[in-house]
Amino acid sequence: MTAFTDAQALTKPAPRPLILRRPTKTTGVWSWFTTIDHKKIGILYGGTALFFFVVGGIEALLLRVQLAEANGTLLTASQYNTLFTMHGTTMIFLMGMPLAVAFANYLVPLQIGARDVAFPRINMFGYWVVLFGGIFMYSSFVLGGAPNGGWFGYTPLTSTPLSGGALPGNGPDFWAIGIIFLGIGSTTSAINIIVTVLNMRAPGMTMMRMPPFTWMALVTSFLTVFAMPIITAALIMVFFDRNFDTTFFLATKGGDPLLYQHLFWLFGHPEVYILILPGMGIVSEILPVFSRKPLFGYSVVVFSGIAIGFLGWGVWAHHMFATGLGPVAISAFGLSTMLIAIPTGVKIFNWLGTVYGGAVRLTTAMLFSLGFIAMFTLGGLSGVLHSIVPSDTQQTDTYFVVAHFHYVLFGGLVFAIFGGFYYWWPKVFGRMLDERLGKWNFWLLLVGFNLTFFPMHIVGLLGMPRRTYRYDDGMGWEVLNQIETVGGFIVALGTLVFLVNIFYTAKRPKTASADPWDARSLEWSIPSPPPEYNFADIPRVEARDDWWHRKYTEDADGKLVRLPTGGAVDEAEITTTHDEHGGHGIHMPSPSIYPFIVALGLPLMGYAAVFLNIWLLIPGLLLVLFGIYAWGLEPPTEPEPVQVPEKVGAS
Amino acid sequence: MSNEGTAEGTVATRTGASVSEQPGRQESDLERLEEMIPESALRHAPGLLPGEVKAHPDPLQYVVVAVVLVVITGLEIGVSYLEGSIPNGLIIALLLVMAFVKFFLVASWYMHLRTDQPVFRRFFVIGTIAAILLYAIVLLTLHVSF
Amino acid sequence: MTAVEERQPDLPVISDAHGNHDAHTGSTNAKLAMWLFLSSDCLFFGAFISTFLLYRDRPGQEGPTPGDLFDIPFTSVTSFILLMSSLTMVLALAAIQRGDMRRFRVWIIATVLFGVTFIGGQIFEFTEFSREGLNIDTSLFGSSFFVLTGLHGAHVTAGIIWLLSLWGLSMQEHMGQGDAERVEIAGLYWHFVDVVWIVIFTVVYLVPT
Repeated sequence: MTAFTDAQALTKPAPRPLILRRPTKTTGVWSWFTTIDHKKIGILYGGTALFFFVVGGIEALLLRVQLAEANGTLLTASQYNTLFTMHGTTMIFLMGMPLAVAFANYLVPLQIGARDVAFPRINMFGYWVVLFGGIFMYSSFVLGGAPNGGWFGYTPLTSTPLSGGALPGNGPDFWAIGIIFLGIGSTTSAINIIVTVLNMRAPGMTMMRMPPFTWMALVTSFLTVFAMPIITAALIMVFFDRNFDTTFFLATKGGDPLLYQHLFWLFGHPEVYILILPGMGIVSEILPVFSRKPLFGYSVVVFSGIAIGFLGWGVWAHHMFATGLGPVAISAFGLSTMLIAIPTGVKIFNWLGTVYGGAVRLTTAMLFSLGFIAMFTLGGLSGVLHSIVPSDTQQTDTYFVVAHFHYVLFGGLVFAIFGGFYYWWPKVFGRMLDERLGKWNFWLLLVGFNLTFFPMHIVGLLGMPRRTYRYDDGMGWEVLNQIETVGGFIVALGTLVFLVNIFYTAKRPKTASADPWDARSLEWSIPSPPPEYNFADIPRVEARDDWWHRKYTEDADGKLVRLPTGGAVDEAEITTTHDEHGGHGIHMPSPSIYPFIVALGLPLMGYAAVFLNIWLLIPGLLLVLFGIYAWGLEPPTEPEPVQVPEKVGAS
Repeated sequence: MSNEGTAEGTVATRTGASVSEQPGRQESDLERLEEMIPESALRHAPGLLPGEVKAHPDPLQYVVVAVVLVVITGLEIGVSYLEGSIPNGLIIALLLVMAFVKFFLVASWYMHLRTDQPVFRRFFVIGTIAAILLYAIVLLTLHVSF
Repeated sequence: MTAVEERQPDLPVISDAHGNHDAHTGSTNAKLAMWLFLSSDCLFFGAFISTFLLYRDRPGQEGPTPGDLFDIPFTSVTSFILLMSSLTMVLALAAIQRGDMRRFRVWIIATVLFGVTFIGGQIFEFTEFSREGLNIDTSLFGSSFFVLTGLHGAHVTAGIIWLLSLWGLSMQEHMGQGDAERVEIAGLYWHFVDVVWIVIFTVVYLVPT
């Protein structure tokens, strides 16, 4: 009788999964389809998002070439509309959010001392949904026309039926359904992160000892959970108006297009905080490390993040100042918008306080983080200008707004993300990115970005409207537009340098140590790249910046004194005794193919919706149902083949 | 601390000291298994399930709640038929109060918010209040008179 | 630690299967996730309910009005049935928490049957309204009413499939007392759907125009 007889008697047998055998390999190409390892999933999100960043960038360059001269002839109006719609949609939903999720997925379990997220298979499902959602949206180019109603899709332009003739083709349908899918992916990821952070922290890791990035990921996830359903509702209404002749936004039957704007921006404003808070978290991690000082006012930074999360719900109608809401509404929202500048400003001062007086090392990651502070502050200032309602009435729908949000999203989020790449690359891949190429990367992006977007403030105030495919000469805009286009190509060059950096270093051996930057948080206490199970022994956390305190203490003068043992397990020890299952017995959740299968059913259902075709709906639905059943019936972790349990430490 | 938020109650006892520490004695498979069950799984008092801070209601209470729900529904319908004889504002107020009470009863008793960890209550309440507040503002802005 | 203690996903342990035994909220991951999802769904339904409130009384609409169509006694009966399904659901949960699988099967199939009856009532009501001239494209009232109640019905249907699956698993002896949490999570979803109907019934049907 095996040692497991009694064990099995205490549980009932797990039902065998239907038809498909459970994959088991955790290495090799096929494992990237079946993995449920949060680290691999983070890499997948990151790679996919980077790809879409390039695609969105190319779309932007086409726009910039069109606008470089008056009466440009590169693009027709219709093509222009498609390109600016897809540029915005791609950058927000296929680049910004997935990159934030990439970092959160990879880092949050490591930073809180956990071995994986709460729901590894749902994590993988979220990724497939994003990938398939992106493919679905882009397939529209060859399936009757890509989305062309703007990334915000205002009604009634997008909601009048095909027969109404406003936006011919299925573009708006692809857009609405595509975003609903991406929303499903985002929401599942967000729920995963919240449960992971609340339930799976290592012993001693209280909420106020968590690294700032994890805090921001948590707040972002709450925002996502509450914001995505609102846009889902709005898009369902748009889809129904367009395809089933409902009257939600049909003015002739009394419908109110402004309802859409409310619903959209109820989602849309929290969305921009969903985009920027992870960036703020990244910067809050990098600045202390390269200043060799703790984050200045950690509690305040955390509470400001939470405050932004709350206040962000109360400002949405500032996107609607020019729609005739009435003086009471616009005054209230103008005020709330000004208010939200306060916690944001507080954070900026805390970051400055972190750097001030520190032993600053200007690595590429640090340069990007400092660049973030500067660029995001500029973006915030133009934002505050928008909060003054009479000013905004002039600025609305001009390039002034375009300047503002690119400063906060590109100068803010994207800079932070690049910083995050340079900072965490050694941890993820075991190799450092090249610092010299990194400096070129940074300066090209900084110069190019400012050349592209700063003139937009001016040209916007001179009256150049947004979303218009060409302008007449004699407006006084041409020179500035040309400068902007040149800037755009410099940005492209900077991005190219980054890609070169990746390939250039990819061939090098994996020599990065566990802690190349002498950093502060737990992810730096394990090898680079981390083993599948992350931590050989779950750490017992005793302080904020726990890893730092295991390395250093302060003497009587307040100077740092290195402690003899790092506190982490010696790397040599790790590779010899704590490999996957040998001798240590850590059993990670098993790979699964069902997240992929369920996710595959969704685009089928999406095409069924766009083309109103029941023969696509049924297989899609069946695939989803089959996948869900099989998923529900397979245990998270497959039992090991019979082995005698070893006593740890036994001879 | 790692124990924050866990249930009160006595810790269930294990079978004395670890058997493997008694030299010469062979453990039975069952004893070996019991040793391996994490402490935390035995942390709750008997009768409390994971996630509970008090014992969940018993079936009789559920039935009583059901009866109350039916009675309130009956009252609601009655009130709705009073349209015309009492002001609409009053009818709406009464109906909203009764709907809220039913909502509260189902959430507290059937969904166990009364007896579970407070974290669930907080999430649900925040979601509900957020929904009500946000949409109320939207409706006000679009000039709906309540 | 060995592999044994980590592979018991079906015992009611609060530790997840990954070796980290401190679940800081003292609750299971799945239950927390379901509550988060339900909070999210609040905002989803809130959008449609407020759209209905916005549009119901707008003047100048064609087609029948709520007063013309609503059959309060009929809808009261279907509402009552859905309320009772919540009772049977929680009794099913209580049964499986005690390990009484027979009672569990009885109560869960009762819940399914009540749910199916409710949906049947909805379908009947919708076809009646359609016959009397209210369709999804007739007016603001028609659009917002049918989409709101239709989405609610879709939620109920998904719940029915879920509960039916649990019943099926139980009939095949694949479920035991250790699965009480799975049932609880399904129950939370079901009660939520009932609670949304409580709001819809009051706000859509009963509130005077």
